[in-house]
Amino acid sequence: MNIYPGEFNDITRRANELLSDTSDVPRVLRGCFGEQHDLTLAGHQMVESIETLVRELRSFDASAEPTVTDTYQNPY
Amino acid sequence: MYIPEADFEYLIRTLSDARSRATELAVSIGSRLGTEHRLTELASTAASNIENMLRDIRTAAAEKPESAIGLADLQHAVQEIHFPVPPTASFAAAAGLDTEHWLSTFVDQLLAQARTSGAITFEGVERLLQQRKDEFLRDFLTARRMYRTYPRLFPEIAEPTRTI
Repeated sequence: MNIYPGEFNDITRRANELLSDTSDVPRVLRGCFGEQHDLTLAGHQMVESIETLVRELRSFDASAEPTVTDTYQNPY
Repeated sequence: MYIPEADFEYLIRTLSDARSRATELAVSIGSRLGTEHRLTELASTAASNIENMLRDIRTAAAEKPESAIGLADLQHAVQEIHFPVPPTASFAAAAGLDTEHWLSTFVDQLLAQARTSGAITFEGVERLLQQRKDEFLRDFLTARRMYRTYPRLFPEIAEPTRTI
């Protein structure tokens, strides 16, 4: 299996956007149902699962990046 | 407990969109790393959590007290499109589509839903379209998995340079 450096950049970015767009859901649920309601707790769990995905994707993407070396060549 | 209709609408809209995007992410990751990879499982778990959340919110919205009817309900009612006379011509035939085309099936289901409930709402159309999209993504993932597992079953795809 070949994973090319940066191939997961786009996927990580999309996951980040998903996390950003859903991060407000637990707050709205808390306002509607209260802190201890099952739906509010499920909302927290949902966002946590997206956070875990984003964190793992970042880690995976970073580990796929090649080591950057200075390849300066003297022109003379 | 009074819960504003706008909050339900916001939650349903946000989660419906999130479910679609999470499913696409799971498909994208699975196609690169395989369905058994930890990242694919994490993406599937996130999509599943969103799906469950959306279902529970819809259930809660459906069970809300009748006294909570407000402006949003009136706006919702205005958005309803009524079909007093069911169309008799087949959509597929009129549009020149194959009867098995997904759009034809979608329209048939939509019209059946309209005949049952007496109306079509934007939310109902969105939900039905999302179901079709999810079915497509699931079928796509299954087909991809089958192709990778049993490439010999698909010689015309596996050997694109083959000449007859």
